[in-house]
Amino acid sequence: MSRPLKSVVVVGRDAAAWIAAYGLRFAFARTGLEVTLVELPSLLSPVDAFAALPTLSGLHRLLNIPEDQLLKASGGLPTMGQRYANWSGGKAPFIHAYDTQPVGVNNVDLVQYWVKARGEGMGVEFDDFSLGAAMAKAGRMAPDVDLAAEFSRPAHGYQLDAGRYVDFIRARALRAGVVHCPSSQVRVTALGDRITSVTLDDGTALQADLFVDASGSDALLLGQLPGGDFESWADLYPCDRLMAASGPALSPLPAFAHIAAFRSGWIGLYPLRERTALVAAFDSKDLSDTDMLQRLTVLTGLKLEGEAVCAPMTPGMRRGWIGNCVGVGEAAVCVEPLDAVPLHLIQTSVSHLITQFPVDADDLAEARLYSASLAAHGRNIRDFQLAHYRLNQRRDEPFWDGARDGPVPEGLAHKFALFRARGETAIYDDETFQASNWTSILLGHGLVPGDYDPRVEMLSPEEQIRQMQGMLGFIAGEVKGLPTLDEHLNARPSSIGSALFG
Amino acid sequence: MDKPLRVVIVGGGTSGWMTAAALTGTLKPNICRVRLIESDEIGIVGVGEATLPQMREYNEAIGIIEPEMMARTNGTFKLAIQFRDWGFKGSEYYHPFGKHGQPLGGIGFHHHWLRARQAGRAYDLEDFSYAVVASRRQKFEFPVSDLKAINSTYSYAYHFDASLYAKYLRGFSEQRGAVRTEGRVVDVTLDPLSGDVASVTMDSGEVITGDLFIDCSGFRALLIGKALNSPFESWNKWLPCDRAWAVPCDRSPDFTPYTRSTAREAGWQWRIPLQHRTGNGYVFSSGFIEEDKARETLMANLDGAAQQDPRLLRFEAGRRTASWTRNCVAIGLASGFLEPLESTSIYLVQAAVMALLRFFPRQKIDPVLVAEFNRRVDNEYDRIRDFLILHYHLNTRDDAEIWRYCRNMSVPDSLAEKIEMFRHRGHLPAYKDGLFSPASWLSVLHGQGLVPRGYERLADNLEFDDLVHRMDELHGKIDARVDAMPSHDAFIRDYCPSPEAVPLERAGAVA
Repeated sequence: MSRPLKSVVVVGRDAAAWIAAYGLRFAFARTGLEVTLVELPSLLSPVDAFAALPTLSGLHRLLNIPEDQLLKASGGLPTMGQRYANWSGGKAPFIHAYDTQPVGVNNVDLVQYWVKARGEGMGVEFDDFSLGAAMAKAGRMAPDVDLAAEFSRPAHGYQLDAGRYVDFIRARALRAGVVHCPSSQVRVTALGDRITSVTLDDGTALQADLFVDASGSDALLLGQLPGGDFESWADLYPCDRLMAASGPALSPLPAFAHIAAFRSGWIGLYPLRERTALVAAFDSKDLSDTDMLQRLTVLTGLKLEGEAVCAPMTPGMRRGWIGNCVGVGEAAVCVEPLDAVPLHLIQTSVSHLITQFPVDADDLAEARLYSASLAAHGRNIRDFQLAHYRLNQRRDEPFWDGARDGPVPEGLAHKFALFRARGETAIYDDETFQASNWTSILLGHGLVPGDYDPRVEMLSPEEQIRQMQGMLGFIAGEVKGLPTLDEHLNARPSSIGSALFG
Repeated sequence: MDKPLRVVIVGGGTSGWMTAAALTGTLKPNICRVRLIESDEIGIVGVGEATLPQMREYNEAIGIIEPEMMARTNGTFKLAIQFRDWGFKGSEYYHPFGKHGQPLGGIGFHHHWLRARQAGRAYDLEDFSYAVVASRRQKFEFPVSDLKAINSTYSYAYHFDASLYAKYLRGFSEQRGAVRTEGRVVDVTLDPLSGDVASVTMDSGEVITGDLFIDCSGFRALLIGKALNSPFESWNKWLPCDRAWAVPCDRSPDFTPYTRSTAREAGWQWRIPLQHRTGNGYVFSSGFIEEDKARETLMANLDGAAQQDPRLLRFEAGRRTASWTRNCVAIGLASGFLEPLESTSIYLVQAAVMALLRFFPRQKIDPVLVAEFNRRVDNEYDRIRDFLILHYHLNTRDDAEIWRYCRNMSVPDSLAEKIEMFRHRGHLPAYKDGLFSPASWLSVLHGQGLVPRGYERLADNLEFDDLVHRMDELHGKIDARVDAMPSHDAFIRDYCPSPEAVPLERAGAVA
């Protein structure tokens, strides 16, 4: 007979810890699960922010968090995508929008027609055929209703003030009955691959059916268990250091985040409602923290407010679930803040833990499913991030030459080769980013396919021009009718999240 | 612009003509010219073929008109496969084209069903599948597109005479410029420098050159096997059946909108109803039964008079490690074989044809297109392989040696883990590409007799009384809507009657 889990102890800090604790308590309180959070001192600074993919709304729906409350509480903004600038020499910036691309014509993807038209001299960029990108450029936002579903479905992500977002989740978690035990550190006692207890500052030893490691890249629990060795990706990533800072709010509010490459890394501008969060990823061998700070001011042209903070970056992963300990967020997979993925990885791991929550405390067979899936997600996300670096066209700058020539994992090499040959994307299992995302960044960085699907020739050249002009006209018409982001925020009707169980 | 690619298809049959129809139907003549070689002397494997719903996508993509195609191929509709005696003798379950129930509160229906079962409310899972209930009552009509309607929750496929389908596609292809050459290939010549196929020589002496060769020569694998020696990976140790007797018999009144598969002492017997007769066959392992004995078993288990002597087919489960090798693409049986237990033969042809269109080469074949084609085709084969092995492995039959052997054999790790996770917590595999969907896995894992120990704990959040109420309501809705459907026979008479159809009233004079 199976023995249901009665208790979970989450050890960690900040977003990963509070989302995990709240998520588990919200999902399983009715079935009698006690959730204790051993909260380690926060590492967040007032300047920190999160960029989030549209998928965050999935977790929020599960947790019954309405979007308007979330945005209000966290000083956040909806965003249509990310604009990449200066990554590819003199090439104009492009927008990686979050909308799905249209099916195309005659069951052949639009990109195939674009490649053909491009070869015949058409100058229109691929992201001009994205409604989401057009909305981003025009600073527009869609109302809650689905827009133009038959053409492409624009989806929005978010930018959130990190501290305020965590406070918002924390308040809900405490209301939901999460037991909160602050401690400056923990001592882990394990027998084989099973944690028997974690001991707090005051000597209290907590036991549980399941432990969750939400301690970030320190992996204070998982790292001490057999099999918890860290697989470093430091040799794949050119940056090893992050800086976060803050500037004044932008007006009018942009509907995208701006990711600009510079000599030694990249700088991200993430608009929030009352300020603009800045993030820089750079190579500490190239730049000191002081020089980075100076550059940040010069390159963004913003007057920085508050203090800038720096932290080392240690990309890599370890087995996500060992014995009775589950890692969420960076304790399991640690990547760059590019492409809005750090919060996504927290959300993905917590969602997986909820849907794969063990059915039997004496047989945690779910560990294999969870670890395999998280590892695959992590590697695929890593490859997506690496694509930006490997495809850069900044010549004669040692940082970027190195980033371009770095090792390419096998799966990514196949993706590059296939896209270069035919504009097709090989999508593997457990991919966060789908073909439309890959197409957007590969083309955006200048990987233009040498050939197209010959089926596109079934459409006569005149008909193809007519269809493409129709799409552009449609997009222009749609965008014109939409409110600006500022108007949208002021006129926002309250939307009720549809809860898991009302 | 390059000059058109000269495509030579060696072999007609379903795979050859499906390839020809797709190439001529979706590519302009300046892209490729299609020449198909086939011999009337060489028999076509096909005594009634069952398909999957995906086939409709192929038909739509190339512009086939459904009622016309069905009338010309004596086609009937298919909502499911019925499995008899598989998990244990006396068992019966369906693998329907549709889901069981609908998710409640975001949680898969079967978790709720498991919970109700553990709480003592033993509902029949199949009562919650629209396609199963319609199958049991031998009803058919098209699913509606309104996703809120209960009769939108299923899909359908066809039973038809595959040789007539090939003939139908031949007309289609020839109208669009495909050139057919009658005769047998007696020799294949490789280019001495590149090792590519340079030409094939006909029995007439004619030498046919080409840029891209499609090997649709069936089990003989004239190009991919004999000429290019692309290795064949055998899966015989997991799928021991290597023979089949096939025979058509008179139509019976049992006009099922589903394929029937009955497990026997050394394999299984198929039954495929067409408008004018019923196709039958016994797939067996020569290691577990004599050929003659298998023949007798088949002939003793027909529900109509046999229309001819049974024919024997020989095969081996497995696939080429590279279906596309050099300038030769194997499609159909030349690329691999999986027994028709889940009606995947035509699906595999379709998947390869669609991948060929997507990665269709220019004069110089880019190896990355070949690699991606092979990756996709391999994935299709491997997924189906695991699903087929599941039927054999998960059984409690003790009456015949093959069932003991299959129960005790070690299965691929990829499958063992899927079974274990279902047993543990009702977890269903979900993956990006390839057959089969989680709903299919559920029907077979459950149907073969495996009951999970646990279920997703989120399901406990629903009030139990509410759950019971919702399940009763869903059951009632399906029951009432299926009652209003026309019979399979009436539907076909109205929609796509074949001139050869034998009226149901005259069927059933079983000798």
